[in-house]
Amino acid sequence: MKKYHLAATAIIIAILAAFPFLEPQVYYLSFMFSVFMYVILASSWNFIGGYAGYLSFGHAAFFGIGAFATAKIAAVFDLSPVLTILATIPAGAIAALVALIIGYPCLKIQGPYFAVVTLCFAFVVDLAVKNIEFLGGAEGIWMKIMDVPEKLSRSIMYEVMLLLMVVTLAVAWWLGRSRLGAGLRAIRSDEEVAETMAIPTAKIKIQAFILSAFFPGIAGGLFAYYLTYIHADVVFNISISILIVLMAMFGGGGTWLGPIIGAVILTVVNEGLSNFAQAEIARIIYGALFIVVTIFMPNGIIDFFRKKGSG
Amino acid sequence: MDAVLLTQSLISGIMMGMVYALLSVGFSLTWGVMHVIHISHAAFGLLGAYLAYSLLECFGVDPIISAAVSVPLLFLLACGVYQLLIRPITKAKEVIVASMILTFGLAIILENVMVLIWKADPRIMTPTYSSGALIVGPLYFQYPHLVGFGLSIVGITAIYLFLQKTYTGMAVRAAWQQPEAAQLYGVNLYRISMITFALAVSTAGAGGISLALLNSFEPHSHNLWLIYLFLVVIVGGVGNVVGTALAGLIIGVITGLSMALLPFQWVNLITFGLLMVFLIFRPHGLFKQGV
Amino acid sequence: MKRKRMKGFSLFMTIAVLCGLLLTVPAAAIGAGKPIVIGGSLPLTGEFAETGLWIERGMRYWAEEINAKGGLLGRQVEFKIYDDQSNVGKAVTFAEKAITVDKVDLLFGGYPGTAARAVMAVAEKHKMVYVSMGGHMKSFQQGYTYSFGAPPLMGEWWYEGFFQWLNSLPANQRPTRAAVYTINNPVGLSLQDCITRWTKYLNIKIVINEKYNSPLSDATSMIVKAKQMNCDILFSNGFFPDGVTTMKAAKALGYNPKAIVQGIGSVVPAWVKELGADGNYVFSGTVLHGMLNYPGNDKLNAYVKNKYKLGIYPLYFGFGYAWMQTLQQGVTGANSLDQTKIRDWLKTHKVNTIAGPMTFDKYGLPAPINFATQIINGKVELIWPKNVQTKQPVYPKPAWTK
Repeated sequence: MKKYHLAATAIIIAILAAFPFLEPQVYYLSFMFSVFMYVILASSWNFIGGYAGYLSFGHAAFFGIGAFATAKIAAVFDLSPVLTILATIPAGAIAALVALIIGYPCLKIQGPYFAVVTLCFAFVVDLAVKNIEFLGGAEGIWMKIMDVPEKLSRSIMYEVMLLLMVVTLAVAWWLGRSRLGAGLRAIRSDEEVAETMAIPTAKIKIQAFILSAFFPGIAGGLFAYYLTYIHADVVFNISISILIVLMAMFGGGGTWLGPIIGAVILTVVNEGLSNFAQAEIARIIYGALFIVVTIFMPNGIIDFFRKKGSG
Repeated sequence: MDAVLLTQSLISGIMMGMVYALLSVGFSLTWGVMHVIHISHAAFGLLGAYLAYSLLECFGVDPIISAAVSVPLLFLLACGVYQLLIRPITKAKEVIVASMILTFGLAIILENVMVLIWKADPRIMTPTYSSGALIVGPLYFQYPHLVGFGLSIVGITAIYLFLQKTYTGMAVRAAWQQPEAAQLYGVNLYRISMITFALAVSTAGAGGISLALLNSFEPHSHNLWLIYLFLVVIVGGVGNVVGTALAGLIIGVITGLSMALLPFQWVNLITFGLLMVFLIFRPHGLFKQGV
Repeated sequence: MKRKRMKGFSLFMTIAVLCGLLLTVPAAAIGAGKPIVIGGSLPLTGEFAETGLWIERGMRYWAEEINAKGGLLGRQVEFKIYDDQSNVGKAVTFAEKAITVDKVDLLFGGYPGTAARAVMAVAEKHKMVYVSMGGHMKSFQQGYTYSFGAPPLMGEWWYEGFFQWLNSLPANQRPTRAAVYTINNPVGLSLQDCITRWTKYLNIKIVINEKYNSPLSDATSMIVKAKQMNCDILFSNGFFPDGVTTMKAAKALGYNPKAIVQGIGSVVPAWVKELGADGNYVFSGTVLHGMLNYPGNDKLNAYVKNKYKLGIYPLYFGFGYAWMQTLQQGVTGANSLDQTKIRDWLKTHKVNTIAGPMTFDKYGLPAPINFATQIINGKVELIWPKNVQTKQPVYPKPAWTK
C-alpha cells in the first residue's frame, strides 16, 4: 500500500479509536457501532459476492448464527462480560463451520440458483432456531447486562466492533491483492476459463465463503450482547440479507472500498432521514436514493468515480 | 393417516401453490429474459390487489372483473416504469445487480405510497363468495381458492400461448435465447423488453388479487410475497413458464402433504429444507431452462 | 488524472457524510417556557405500522388534553417520536438517541413486544422510567426496576377472563374437546400458559395442541383436523392475518365449534371492519375497554367517534393514552422529572387510568387484569366479570351466516 494511503488509513483508525475518549453521547457510540457492523457485513459478504460473483442472499444467517451461539454460550456457562465478548470468536467459528458444511454442495451451483439456495438456507436456519427450544425457540434469549456504567459498556462495544472492522477490512484489502483474490476474480469473470487455468475453483470458493461467514458471525455475537436480548426475527431477517447485498453493490462490489462506501452512506442516510417529520416521506426518499444512484451510477459508486477520473 | 385430511390438504395446497405460480410467472420471466431481478414485482401485485379492493368497496366490482381492469392498467404503468427506470440501467455491466438495487428502492416507494393512499390497516377482500365452498362428498373446494386457481390457470396459459403462438411472444423468446441474432433479424430489443416487463407486472396484478382473496394484506405484505416468488423460482427454474406452473403444483403438493402429515410447526422448515436439498442436487430447477 | 479522481471522490464522500451527520444532530430546544419532551420510537412504517400509529394517536390525544389544562408540572408536553421502521435494532438506538442526545425528560413505550424487551434493557441501563406494554412475563423477570407495564399486554393474563366466565357455566354446557393452535412467537407462547392450567381445571381435553410459524398461508388442514377430532372449542392463538385465515377457513369448511377464542388479532379495528359478520362471536380478552366504567373512557370514545368514526377506541389507542396517564401521575406525584423519584412514587402509590386503578409490584406489574370480550354484532363487548358486562355472551356459537 502506498505510504500516504497507509498513513491516511492509520490516522482515520486512530481518530475513530479516540472518539469514545471525547465522551460523546451514548447514542453516537451506538450509531457508529451499527455503522461499523454494516461495514463488516457488507465487506465480508463481498468476499464471496463481489470478488467471486456468487451473490449470497442469505448472509444474515451467519450473522444470526453468531448472535445465537454467543447468547447461548454466555447463558450456559454464565460468562463474565470479557468472556462473553471473547465468546463471539468461537461463535464466528461456528458460523464459518456452517458455511463450510453448506458451502461445499451449494458453491457448485452457479448464478441465480446460488442466490436462491442461500436465501432458502437463511429461512431454514431461521425456522430451525424458532423450533428448537435449546436455541431460544420462539422466545429468544436474554443476556446479562454488563455491570458497568452505560457509557463505558457502550465504549467497550464500540472499540471491539471497530477492531473487528479494521481486521475485516485488512483481510478484504489483502484479499484484493492476493492470489486467492485474483483467483476469485477469475471465477467471477468466467469460471470455466478459470478452471482451465488450473485454478482450484472449488477450494478457493469455499475459502472465500468461510471467510465471508466468520466475520459476520463475530459481529452477530457482538450485536446480541449490545441488544442484550436476541430473537430470531431480529437477526434472521431477509431485509438484512438483502440490505447487505445492496450495500456492497451500491458502493461497488469487487473492490474493498465499495462495501465501506455503500454501508456508510446507506446507514447514515437512513438514520438522517429519520429526523423528517413524516415517516412515509422519509422512506420514499430513501427508496428514491437507490433509484437515482443506480440510474446515474449503475455499476456502483466506486466504479462511477473511477470512470470519471480516467475520462 | 386420514384420507380425507390428506386429500383436503392436497387440494387447498395445490390451489394455493398455483396462486403463487401466477404471482411468480412474471418475476421468473423478467429474471430469465431481461436479467432483471424485479424486487418490486410483488409490490406491483399488491397494488393490483389494492385497486381491486377499492373497486370492490366503492363500487361493488367483483375482483375477477377488477383483474380484467387492473391488468391493462398495470401494463401501462409498467411500460412507463420501464422507459423511465429500467431501460437506463440495461446498459450496466451487471444488469442483474443494478436492477435489484433499483427495484428495491422502487418497492419501498410503492409500499409507502400505498400507505399514504390506503393507510397501514390490514385489508381483506370480501366478495360474496369469500368464505363459501363447493362441497363434493366429504371434500370442500373453497371458492376463493377456486377463483385464484382459475385465474392462475387462465393467466399462465395466456402467457404461455403468448410466448409460443404470437409473433411478439416468439420475438421475446428469440431475444432471450439469442439476443444478437434476434437483433440482426430486426427484433427491437427495447420494445421486446418493455413488453415483457409490462406483461410480467400485469400478471403480478392478477396474482396479487388472487393472493388477496385468500389472505389479508397490508402495504408491507409484498415483502412476504417476495418470499413466495423466490420459492417458485427455486423449483421452476428461472425464465421457465411451464416450469413455474409445475413449481406451483409441486410446492402445493409438498405443503399440502406436510400440513396433513407433520406437526404444523415443522411445515415451513421441512418445505424449505426439502427445497434446499432439492436445489443442491438439481440447481436449475426441475426443468430445463427455457421459455 | 489520479489526483482529480481522488479529489472528486473525496468531495463526494465528504458531502455525503456531512449531510448525514448534520441530519443526526438534534433539533434545538424551543425557547422560553421549555416544554417537557417525551421521547422514544414507534414502528411508524413497516410491518407493525398500523399498531404503532394507533399508539401514537392515543399518546397525542393525551398530550392535547393535558396541554389544554396547563400542561404537566406547568409545562407543555411534546413528543420526539422516531420511526424505528419495525426494526428492533433501530428501536434500541433511537431510545439511546432520545435519552442521550435529545436528553428527553421522559420515555414512552414502544411496540411490539420484542422491541419493548430490548428497550426495557436500555431504559434500565440509563435509569429511566419506561412505561410500556412490556414483553410478556419473561421480560418482567429480568430484574428491571424501571419498567412498568401500565397496563401491560400480558399474554399470560389474556384468557383469564374468558376461562373464569367458562367456569361460571354449568359443567354440562361447557365444551369438552379443545383444538389449540398457537403462533410460534413470544405472544403465542405466553397465551398457552393460561390454557394449560384452566383446561385441566375445567376438564377440557386438549385434543390438538400445535404451534405454527408465521406466515400462515392456509388453515385448511388445521380446521379439517379440528373438525375430524370433534373439537368443540377452537383456540386460535395468533395475530390478525392468521386469525383471519383461520376464521375464513372455518366458515368455508363448515366448522362451527361451540366457541372460538382468538388471541390478539380480534382487537384490531380491522377485524370488525373487514371480516364483518364472519368475525362475530369470537372470544378474546383485553386489559382495556371503552365500556369500562373508569373515568376517561367515555371521553376517549367520543373523541375517537368524532375523529375516526369508530364506535369505541381501539386497544392500542387506549394503551398509548393509559401509559401516558401513568407517567403523568408518576411525575405529578413525585413532583419532579427525576426518574428515580418517579419510579419510587409509582412503586408505592396507586395509579388511576382508563384501565382502572393499578398498584405495581416489585416487577413493575399491576395485579392481573383480565376482562373477557366477545364480538357481537360487529362490536367488541365485555362479557366478564359480570359487573362490567355490556352484553349477554352468545354461546354456543350460532351457525355461520351466508
